[in-house]
Amino acid sequence: MRRPARTAVDLLVLVALAAYAAPFFWQLLTSLKPEGELMRVPPLLPSRLTLAHYRVVLEQSLIPRALVNSVGIATLTTLLALVLGVPGAYAIARLPLPGKSALLLAIVASTAFPQIATVSPLYLLMRALGLRDTWAGLVLVHASFALPLTVWLLAGFIRELPLAAEEAASVDGAGTVGTLRWVVVPQLLPGLASTALLTFLFSWNEFLFAYTFTASEASRTIPVALALFPGVYEVPWGDIAAASMLASLPPVLIVIVLQRFLVSGLVAGALKE
Amino acid sequence: MRRLLLVLWVAVLSGCGGSALERGPVTLVFKYARILGPADPVPELLREFEAAHPNVRVRGEALPWTSDEQHQFYVINLEGRSPGFDVMMLDVIWVPEFARAGWLLDLTPGLHPGELAPYFPSTVAAATDHGRVWALPWNMNVGLLYYRADLLGKYGLAPPETFDELARQVVRIRAGERDPALDGYLWQAKQYEGLVVNVLEAFWANGTRLLADDGTLFPEPGRAAEALGFLRGLIASGVSPAWTPAADEELSRRAFGDGRAVFLRNWPYAMDLFQARDSPVRGRVGIAPLPGFAGGPRGAGSTGGAHLGVSRRSRHPELAVDLARFLTSERAQKAIALGAALSPTREVLYHDPGLVRSRPELPALHALMRAGRSRPVTPYYLLLSSTVQPEFSAVLVGLKAPARAIGDARLRLSHFLDALR
Amino acid sequence: MTGRTRAARRQALLLLAPTLVALTALTVYPGCWVVWLSLQHRVPIFGVARFAGLDNFAFLAVDPRFWSAARTTAAFTALSVALELLLGVAVALALARQERGRRLGLSLLLLAWAMPSVVTAKLYEWLYHPTAGLINVLLGAHAINWLGDPRLALPAVILADVWRSMPFVALLCYARLRTIPAELYEAAQVDGAGRLATLGRVTLPLLGRIVLLALLFRTLDALRAFDIMFVLTGGGPAGTTETLTVYAYRSLFQMLQLGFGSAISVVVFALVMGAAWAYLRLLRPRAVVA
Repeated sequence: MRRPARTAVDLLVLVALAAYAAPFFWQLLTSLKPEGELMRVPPLLPSRLTLAHYRVVLEQSLIPRALVNSVGIATLTTLLALVLGVPGAYAIARLPLPGKSALLLAIVASTAFPQIATVSPLYLLMRALGLRDTWAGLVLVHASFALPLTVWLLAGFIRELPLAAEEAASVDGAGTVGTLRWVVVPQLLPGLASTALLTFLFSWNEFLFAYTFTASEASRTIPVALALFPGVYEVPWGDIAAASMLASLPPVLIVIVLQRFLVSGLVAGALKE
Repeated sequence: MRRLLLVLWVAVLSGCGGSALERGPVTLVFKYARILGPADPVPELLREFEAAHPNVRVRGEALPWTSDEQHQFYVINLEGRSPGFDVMMLDVIWVPEFARAGWLLDLTPGLHPGELAPYFPSTVAAATDHGRVWALPWNMNVGLLYYRADLLGKYGLAPPETFDELARQVVRIRAGERDPALDGYLWQAKQYEGLVVNVLEAFWANGTRLLADDGTLFPEPGRAAEALGFLRGLIASGVSPAWTPAADEELSRRAFGDGRAVFLRNWPYAMDLFQARDSPVRGRVGIAPLPGFAGGPRGAGSTGGAHLGVSRRSRHPELAVDLARFLTSERAQKAIALGAALSPTREVLYHDPGLVRSRPELPALHALMRAGRSRPVTPYYLLLSSTVQPEFSAVLVGLKAPARAIGDARLRLSHFLDALR
Repeated sequence: MTGRTRAARRQALLLLAPTLVALTALTVYPGCWVVWLSLQHRVPIFGVARFAGLDNFAFLAVDPRFWSAARTTAAFTALSVALELLLGVAVALALARQERGRRLGLSLLLLAWAMPSVVTAKLYEWLYHPTAGLINVLLGAHAINWLGDPRLALPAVILADVWRSMPFVALLCYARLRTIPAELYEAAQVDGAGRLATLGRVTLPLLGRIVLLALLFRTLDALRAFDIMFVLTGGGPAGTTETLTVYAYRSLFQMLQLGFGSAISVVVFALVMGAAWAYLRLLRPRAVVA
């Protein structure tokens, strides 16, 4: 296709994609619209922009606390999943294991587990352990749910690393753990980044377990706080929009700034077939 | 190393809570839903209680906003160890459930004879399970009919006593006003607890109920189906707008408050908002009992409201009961009624000059409350409600025939109730 | 087996142990426990806990609400996945041919996918607002009650879910398209194939496998979907958007029937695992064992 025609089509595609993302931008606009103009549409565009909704959300609601909870829980989940997953992935990728293919199948199968299937026993378990409405309870549940995918992705990344470095290390007398720590992990950083981002995103966005196992602002995460956003006499659409934007901040940042890692992680699992 | 010792020291101290606490102030925690209105009267009342009880501190903590969330909060926190609160505000429909689950302190032994006499009998009945009292009535609600006095007056009509009359009045007024945006009769048919309330009111007007005294479900299914069919007819014929199945208290209240309807079924709190300075319907709204069906009993509104219960695992049960008593006392209820749109549970306050001055509809409300009926008082009320909600909703959006819905509801309820016995 | 191999095996198990312990305790064990729960009448707050055999399942077999939820789940899954695949492949094809602004395009596309599902639900709740929602305003329609009309609610929920999930399918296909060597296209051009023929003979067949994989992921996700319908409509109006997962959740935590709700969960579990097994068999023949 000739240059100008190609550029025109490129532009068209970008415009179409911008239109696809329009709901997001509409919500952004809503969060900046003055209260009185929210229900009076058309006109679609506001007469002026205001930060009033953000002020309400940050000063008068439980969203800030929920953000703290989410950051903490998602971070701890990611750390736990990686700490547990890296050794396991290495074992699967490089070491001889009895029944490896069966194990792999089991791990892949557990990525298909529906959350609804385990929520009732987990509820009883959390109750027995006194972990309801705590960070620890949710971190454990999130990490275990994310673990199969983490292991699978990391195993894939590890398998892609050149064996030479590891063989050299073992010739030098480094044990398995040493090899893992000093040779594999440094090379694995991009793969670790991708896996960490996906796990963080999963924990940040997770709703069903968070809704069931939290009861107060002590551990309530941002999706739950948003779902339960108080509306007394009328639904505060502007405030909800502002809270939604705040809740989307890390995901949006990841998509825009860390896109490379996100994409390679998402695609890694699928393309390795 | 020093820091470690300090941490250990603090841990040991906090572990030895018991003896240390006895010397310090006692803290009671009161969980309640934030009260709306110009000023929340509760914190001041709590300070008063503290002043009268040296060495006692009371912390008022907010519950989540909606009834469902509050219930989930309580269920999660009351199972197992100490819940961390002493006095709690309960929706009236939860009292038997919480009592049966063993979460509430039995108040019967500490009650003085005749202590419950000043309260509405229905509120006391709602707080009683197996002959014992588990909570003190705090505030009350009743379903009633709001009407546009100016519109009815214009056509020389009195508030309708039957639904047929209401429908005729709607037709007449709309024909006369020739305003396509004017709706007829607004009520709540969204799939939530409010729907059950509205349907029960229709059942009662048709001479039947949901749960008979002996525990039979839908004792007169024919009449129940008839009432449901009637409600569906209101929507189908246009007497009630097409968005009624999406309406809750607030949606319907705002539409009426903007002057867009002739009749509204809602709770007493709305009157305050209709009489607000910038309300389009200020001074033009009247209240009346709900209509009945021709040849049947007078329409009775459903009662609702909140009670105060004491946690059975409270570390200071006597003080907690004192707090509950204080908050339901005449003085406290009057302060709350003045500061917020909540109605008291003590009958005498409905003729108190101070209250009547700021809320002139109170005496009329008194009669309505006395005539009100409560929803089934059973520990399984939530099970009942959540099972019939989708069935009722299916009828009102025209997806199911009333008789089939009643049949299906009965089938499911008997299965679950049998499982419980 | 040499001593070294044995030592290596031991080490492997040791490294894998923490993962296995965590998974067993928090996924496998509950997975078995839920089946045990489904065979009981269990209501914790009233202290009811007794064995009931297949009672719950027998009731489900004749429960109209269960079958309605099953139909809703089937309709939701079929329509969502179909739309996501069609749109996803189309978008991937367009994006793959893009010369400039690919990163921007991907960012715009992935915005919809990355945000929490609750945010999507709130977003669409506002879009579907009868009077102030963007959709009604753009359509010039007078107050179409998207979320309150029993005929429109499920399509409305499907639309929200497709919007959110299509980018994932598009991304997978796009990544695969990028790995197709340029020589294949050149060869087709040399053979005189037009654009459509190239599409049919070269592109789509090579996409075939990834599409099947995307189909697998999306079907499993749609079968166990919960967040969007729960927050957007709560399963209403009149249960028209109540899928099996929502029905299970309500039974568990609204009616507090842990036994009955677990029975529905077991059904969902079986459906999802059954679908996974079926797809994996389809994918098996050409899979390289890891």
